[in-house]
Amino acid sequence: MSAVDTTERRQHPAFYALIVMLIVMSVGPILLMLSVSFKLNVDVISGTSGLLFMPTIQNYETALCDVLPYELDHLDFCGLKFGGAFVNSLIIALVSTVLTLIIGCMAAYALVRFRFMGRDTVSGTTLMVRMVPPAVLLVPVFGLWNNEFCISKADWLGGLIRDTFGGRGDVCLAGTHSGIIIIYIAMNLPFVIWILQSFIVQVPRQLEEAARMDGAGPFQIFFKVVLPLIKPGLAAAAIFTFRIAWNEYLLASALSDRDTKTVPILIVNNMSEFNVEWGVIMATGMLLAIPPIIFTLFASRQIITGMTAGAVKG
Amino acid sequence: MFDISKRLVKTAVATAVVAAAVVSTPALANPYEDYAGTTLVVNFPAHPHYDAVRKILPAFTKETGIKVEVDQLPYLKMRERQTLELAQDEGDYDLIAYVVFSKADYVYADQLENLARYFMNPKLANPAYDADDLIDGYVYNIGFAGGNKGYLQGKTGSLYGIPYGSETSVLGYRKDIFKKHGLKVPENYEELLDVACKIPKLEPGMGGLSSRAASGHHAAHAFLLHLAPLGGRIFDAEWNPVVNNKAGVQAANALKTIVDCGPEGAASFGFGEALGSFLAGDTAMFLDTTVVAGQIDDPAKSKVVGKVGWAMHPQGVRRGSQTGGFGIGIPKNAEHKEAAFLLMQWLTSKEGDKLVALAGGNPSRFSTHDDKEVNAKFPHMAVFGEALQYADPDWRPIIPAWGKINADLGTTLSKVLTEDLDVQQALDGVAKRAKAIMEAEGYYSWR
Amino acid sequence: MNVATYNKTTPYLFLVPALIIMVLGLLYPLGYMVYGSFRDWSPSQSLGESEFIGLGNYITLWNDPSFRESVGVTLKFAVSVVSVEMLMGVGLALLLDRNLRGMSLLRTLFILPMMIAPVVVGLIWRYMYHPTLGVFNKTLTGIGLDSVDWLGQHALLSVIIADIWQWTPFIFILSLAALQSLPRSALEAARIDGATGWQQIIHIKLPLMMPVLIVTGLLRLIDAFKVLEVILVMTEGGPGLSTEILALRISRTATEFRELGVAAAMSNYLLLMLLTLTVFMLVYNRWLEYLAQRAMTVAKEED
Repeated sequence: MSAVDTTERRQHPAFYALIVMLIVMSVGPILLMLSVSFKLNVDVISGTSGLLFMPTIQNYETALCDVLPYELDHLDFCGLKFGGAFVNSLIIALVSTVLTLIIGCMAAYALVRFRFMGRDTVSGTTLMVRMVPPAVLLVPVFGLWNNEFCISKADWLGGLIRDTFGGRGDVCLAGTHSGIIIIYIAMNLPFVIWILQSFIVQVPRQLEEAARMDGAGPFQIFFKVVLPLIKPGLAAAAIFTFRIAWNEYLLASALSDRDTKTVPILIVNNMSEFNVEWGVIMATGMLLAIPPIIFTLFASRQIITGMTAGAVKG
Repeated sequence: MFDISKRLVKTAVATAVVAAAVVSTPALANPYEDYAGTTLVVNFPAHPHYDAVRKILPAFTKETGIKVEVDQLPYLKMRERQTLELAQDEGDYDLIAYVVFSKADYVYADQLENLARYFMNPKLANPAYDADDLIDGYVYNIGFAGGNKGYLQGKTGSLYGIPYGSETSVLGYRKDIFKKHGLKVPENYEELLDVACKIPKLEPGMGGLSSRAASGHHAAHAFLLHLAPLGGRIFDAEWNPVVNNKAGVQAANALKTIVDCGPEGAASFGFGEALGSFLAGDTAMFLDTTVVAGQIDDPAKSKVVGKVGWAMHPQGVRRGSQTGGFGIGIPKNAEHKEAAFLLMQWLTSKEGDKLVALAGGNPSRFSTHDDKEVNAKFPHMAVFGEALQYADPDWRPIIPAWGKINADLGTTLSKVLTEDLDVQQALDGVAKRAKAIMEAEGYYSWR
Repeated sequence: MNVATYNKTTPYLFLVPALIIMVLGLLYPLGYMVYGSFRDWSPSQSLGESEFIGLGNYITLWNDPSFRESVGVTLKFAVSVVSVEMLMGVGLALLLDRNLRGMSLLRTLFILPMMIAPVVVGLIWRYMYHPTLGVFNKTLTGIGLDSVDWLGQHALLSVIIADIWQWTPFIFILSLAALQSLPRSALEAARIDGATGWQQIIHIKLPLMMPVLIVTGLLRLIDAFKVLEVILVMTEGGPGLSTEILALRISRTATEFRELGVAAAMSNYLLLMLLTLTVFMLVYNRWLEYLAQRAMTVAKEED
């Protein structure tokens, strides 16, 4: 026994060093981005060493120029419409997360309780859907959202939408928030159903039986008995869905027009040929990365639960 | 009672007098008034010239009451977006800036308005416009379609766009480095290549010439810059690819030499990196578009302010600098076409051109290059004006099939630069594939 | 009667929204794409207007050297990335599976790379690989060595490194969770029998973790084929085609070259590749499980 104890203690320092190194390697680049975002472009080009420079919030001001209440001297015009993009990203991410959770939850419940398909079929389907790269979806979605899923302007509904929201031509899914939201829900649904399934399975049937005997209908059982018990699963699913909707670039860039740009699109557009302004780009990158960083710091446990659900049984 | 009616009469008379005055005043010619209050939506690329345009747009709105909403995108994305928008029944954009070689696509697909009827409309056309002042090479390269070879000037052509943000190529060099080592500013290609490779030896760590070289469009562009002055062409008069002839091989070798003697990482440089390298002082010369002049003198972006001199694009067997850049046109499916024309006219008028030049953009008129105020602020304008005489509108074919051939040329050249592919072999491959593409497009139907 | 029918239809009601979305957003587009791959299709046409050309797109691609190069790059990338990440992730998990202070902090911070947008990851690494401003070259020149042209000459390697940085934590966390759910009894028994650390790992820990590791490896392999934004921001597929993985090529063919039919055919090729790999791995996994079962029954019989 004692032999085992001393061996453990002797190994500790090296392992601590390893842990520290791992932490530095994973957080380091992010801190680098943070520090560059506070540097002026001239400082960046001249390559002043990381720690000795005049910090400035100019880059953030440039990025947020369309929401700031005051005029900026160093800018002649407000090019980046970051505020608008941020709002778009937020709307799309929140709405798709909420809808995915609701729809996914109901579907998972139905699959578990009413035993349509075995767990294996669901796992199989999830895997199949997860196999589809977004680039593959890009081609048909691009064609469908632009040309087929349209309401003609001549129809009453199309005319109504045009009269209320403005815009030109037929009302197509492309260029709308809903268009992007729908595709995000479709992409995330299988995974969410998979995660929630493993949580719903753990809810004891007796509770539901008891509620039914008290006269509750299926919907009431679902909302009042089952949902509260799978909160950790819901949290994990919510974080994953939000993360994908918030970070996604490819489909959003194909399906958005100038009013529905999201933040990742803005960042990629800014890597322009002419003026790689590292300070401003890093500032926009930081702004995009803040929600995921917050989630990670405060909800790491849920994230890990989400990752391991299903992969590690039990 | 009497007083009230007296006052009433006085007011009535006063009103009548004022009304008569207003009515009888000759209508102060305001061609913009019918359109005041409209909002135009325009599509511009992320490009220094168009950044300058955004600075002067408030002046336009102030003068005319027409508001302008700008959708600015990186230029490849802008092309993708435009391709989509222009094909719709009703488009979002009232005015678009198109890349030169899109002229072929858009005009061929009948997506741009022919400007003839706007210039014929007395209410819209400004008699003081002076179109002869617009730079010829640019007009024929960027705005004209249907002329000789389908894309150059000629009796069968007409105007679909006006050059705006156009550029030719010019040589920028570090006066201080050249003076320090007693080097002569290169006038022809032998001298250019010689100096480019001498500099890294004289100044360790510094590259000779900063050039685009990244795979695809960038490498192709850099190659073409050298092809025209060295006497080469992509196609001959019957559209047979001749890019693999002696001049072509010479141009490719010139590019390879330049990249090999260039700064660190030169083989993957896009335009931004090449410029950045020159701005940071890591390279002694820069041979590319005139667009960069504004940035070189901007202390916030450049470390070589005041150290740069300008010379013409070196001569090979002839002088032939590039013509390229952007033009502005009106989509056929636009909503506010007349107001868009007014904006187009204002931007390219003598006053508008001067304003944009002072803000750091590229002038489209000879007069702006000679203007005293502009030259006071940007002394290089005079050299540019001289270079423009040799701007070659045919340095690059502007046909719908060019996109594919250009991409292939660029990827192949990148392999020559990074994987040491044999030059003659590479160009032969490009010629072969280009011929297949031209055949498929029907260019050999008249043999 | 009402309650009964209500109860009967409820499961369908619960499922309907999900089904609608899946059909609209996934099944129909996929079908559309397969249909479109047999046609000569450009973005401004709706599918009905395009010409039918049978297997034309597939044959063009098969003979297209750029396509083949892209496939090669994709395979190289996926295999390298998954093998290194598995080795490192599992290795780290095995090393750090003990009660050390700071483990929970590591767990929290180590997942940061995964959570950040791939676009931002691409940005950060592009900056770090920059020939003059980047951290790597600055350190190299600082200690007197030559700087390396990361994104020019070693583009694929640089991209692989960035992906390893982003996803090794994923493997690590999953392996750790697997390790920590292993039956302690087996490990105790082995230790009492005098097995060394290495023997414990090879004969007990790894075999027991296998199912999880295979699933994890499979998941990671599938995701490796999907990587796009990181590469797009770092190299745009260049230089040449050296980092143009298939997903990126599909997106370029669709948006830049505007040949949707060819892009659709390429997508089908990609899906076929993925399907083959998945099926292969599942079969292999079943086979391993079968072997394990046999071993256990044999062991039981011997008892």
